[in-house]
Amino acid sequence: MISATPRFFLGKTARLACILTLVSVLAFTLVSMSPIDPVTAYIGIDRMQISTEQERLIIERWGLDKPATERFFLWAGNVLRGDLGDSMIFNEPVIDVIAKRFKTSLWLMLSAWTLSGVLGFLLGVLAGMRRGSLLDRGIRLYAYTLASTPSFWLGLVLLAIFSVSLGLTPICCATPPGVSPADATLWERIQHLILPAVTLSVVGVAQIALHTREKMIDAMESDYALFAFAQGESRFGVACRHALRNVALPAVTLQFASLGELFGGSVLAEQVFSYPGLGRATVEAGIRGDVPLLLGITLFSAIFVFFGNFMADLLYGVLDPRIRIGREVSQ
Amino acid sequence: MLVVLSLSLLLGSQQSAHAKDTLTLAIKGEPDEGYDPTLGWGRYGSPLFQSTLLKRDENMNIVRDLATNYELSENGLVWSVTLREDVKFSNGHPLTAEDVAYTFNTAAASGGKADLMKLDRAEAVGTHEVLIRLKERDSTFINRLVSLGIVPKSIHGPDYARKPVGSGPYRMVEWTEGQQMIAEINPHYYGDTPHFKKLVFLFTDEDTSFAAAKAGKVDVVVVPQALAVQEIPGMKLHPVRSVDNRGLLFPTVPDEGRKTDKGMPIGNDVTADLAIRKAANVAIDRKALVQGVLEGFGRPAYGVCDGLPWDNPANRIEDGDPAKARNILADGGWKDTDGDGVVEKNGQDAEFTIIYPSERSIRQYLALACADMLRKVGIRAKVEGKRSFDEIKQLMHSQVIVFGWGSHDPIEMYHLFSSHHAGEGYNNPGFYKNTKVDEYLDKALAAKDYESSLEYWKKAQWDGETGLNARGDAPWAWLVNLDHTYFISEHLDVGTSQVEPHGHGWPVTANIQKWKWID
Repeated sequence: MISATPRFFLGKTARLACILTLVSVLAFTLVSMSPIDPVTAYIGIDRMQISTEQERLIIERWGLDKPATERFFLWAGNVLRGDLGDSMIFNEPVIDVIAKRFKTSLWLMLSAWTLSGVLGFLLGVLAGMRRGSLLDRGIRLYAYTLASTPSFWLGLVLLAIFSVSLGLTPICCATPPGVSPADATLWERIQHLILPAVTLSVVGVAQIALHTREKMIDAMESDYALFAFAQGESRFGVACRHALRNVALPAVTLQFASLGELFGGSVLAEQVFSYPGLGRATVEAGIRGDVPLLLGITLFSAIFVFFGNFMADLLYGVLDPRIRIGREVSQ
Repeated sequence: MLVVLSLSLLLGSQQSAHAKDTLTLAIKGEPDEGYDPTLGWGRYGSPLFQSTLLKRDENMNIVRDLATNYELSENGLVWSVTLREDVKFSNGHPLTAEDVAYTFNTAAASGGKADLMKLDRAEAVGTHEVLIRLKERDSTFINRLVSLGIVPKSIHGPDYARKPVGSGPYRMVEWTEGQQMIAEINPHYYGDTPHFKKLVFLFTDEDTSFAAAKAGKVDVVVVPQALAVQEIPGMKLHPVRSVDNRGLLFPTVPDEGRKTDKGMPIGNDVTADLAIRKAANVAIDRKALVQGVLEGFGRPAYGVCDGLPWDNPANRIEDGDPAKARNILADGGWKDTDGDGVVEKNGQDAEFTIIYPSERSIRQYLALACADMLRKVGIRAKVEGKRSFDEIKQLMHSQVIVFGWGSHDPIEMYHLFSSHHAGEGYNNPGFYKNTKVDEYLDKALAAKDYESSLEYWKKAQWDGETGLNARGDAPWAWLVNLDHTYFISEHLDVGTSQVEPHGHGWPVTANIQKWKWID
């Protein structure tokens, strides 16, 4: 169905390589200019029990005795060979930390992403179809309010209501306390996913809903809609048969492009719910100046976001054959 | 969403009262780098999975654990330690002298938080005797015998930190990083079998932990002092005394335009004057700080190690006495001649800035309260929050800083007050120097053994004539020792907790094998 050419893929790959190079240079520069001294952050309150000789030993173990540029090229060389290095604070290969954490985050992000995509699209279509109605105003109020709500705050509120006061949902974590993740039942996992996923998606809904609403209004007022109305088609019929397909396109783009925000949102949501995913690891790495891990996560998130946009590009062709990818290239 | 929520109402909340032999704790302190003693795990003296040669009891006395006998050679350079013969690791392998020697040698070379720079070499003599050789005398080295958990040589490696095997009361079942760690009784443990078969440590945020306690999901939770006044149904407050202290650091040298090699300015003309530092120490009402700032959960601090074996009782002064403080200032030549309420000397106002990290509210309140108390005796202290310690680091040689320390190792006193390392990192940031104190500190470090070092640590604080306490040179004004506040289940008996060092969490588990559940 997708008629993407090798040339298209080659171009995309080149672009990805370019992005990754720039991102890593930029990230490394920022991190090495940061005022956080990783050794101080690591030693923390044990400061007065650690001699200067021991501190030197730590600096050597982490390779911080070498100048920044040399460290960068060392790191970059290793990365090209597929070795992202060891996380300083987790004392484990960066790749393992990311893999482990992402596995947990994936469930959260996937459910939040699906939820906010479906709900957002539905609400946007409904609001746009009946512009100015009570329903539209209600949806808009909801979207505007939530678009300006910090997700960690929302998380805390939900936690206070549903977990503490009502006791409906669990307080924290990806599995019940004392139950190992391997033994947790599917239902237990879902239960622990509810609040963080809801937190994450409730905010994500707003964007999709508002954008879809705009596009829906445009579509409902377009010439082809007018033509359909003239032929006796109902509002619902026009929306379903004519507008939906045109509106789906920007929604899908937005949905895939929102992967970056999803990533950012999960950092905050995971912090609140002690959900041991990539977001929490990112916070740890940032606070404690764990350069290899931070760079690894940065690269990973760049690929993640790139992949999202790439998927959007491909899906364009599926949803709207007129702009099928590679068509103009191959002609 | 509502459907799912109501579903969870029907099916979910059956995580009912857990069995009495499982304990759930939310006490913070997840060691990201893992549970490897050679990298610093267990440095508070309670490695849980591993056991140590010696340990400190609830009164901070050093008692035997793995060691049945230990002695230090006449020249103070060689420890010979005899081991118990009945010890097995949790995987069933016996613990031998080889393992002990390996642990010490590995820790010395590994570049973690366990400082064994003074170790020359540890060697096994036979199966149950170890010789630990030092490069030079160091009376504080005994703290490594207290805190370094012994790892099995045969399986120790890079994975060990995530899958520890040791001879401690518990063994790890599973660690989900960022979430929880589950431990169960080590069937091979040589000591008394603990009451609780299973321990679950939750690594949740402060807010989340408190919420979990309120929802009845945890048995032990650590809370900030400000929340300790709240009530949690089914739980009782368990405050633990600590040497987790806060104090004002004074630069003790005048500003002569000197800078450190990193370009940080050194010296402060006002605080370099002994009368100012002494007056500040006397003017501050420490009891009021404990009541006002810590809600009563703490005790006044007069030194860095209040109540520990190397603490000198002479450190306690009569404080909260503005009249006496004014006298000290007047005797020192500080008088208010221009009538603005601030004393001056040689045309210089008694004025300095107290710096604190802005996200630490206790330090902020302490700084504000101190400034208030100092104003009454004619010292004008401005108060300023800084975003991070990296910023404070630039200022700590020239301004007054609210710092907090407190550990179970007297080496801390050496690093804080010895002039040999002044200005290196956070060591002695105020450039304090007193040759007599230096002499005592060096003697303490080079003392034949721990017991005989105690006298010198005490003398460094106050020998009757001079010292580093408030009667002496007063390079610090120590303010308060925090109580670490925990809420524990009404049914839980945790015995007597040790005076805790700086840093929440693991220290409270030091006697966990003695904890009991009472119906």
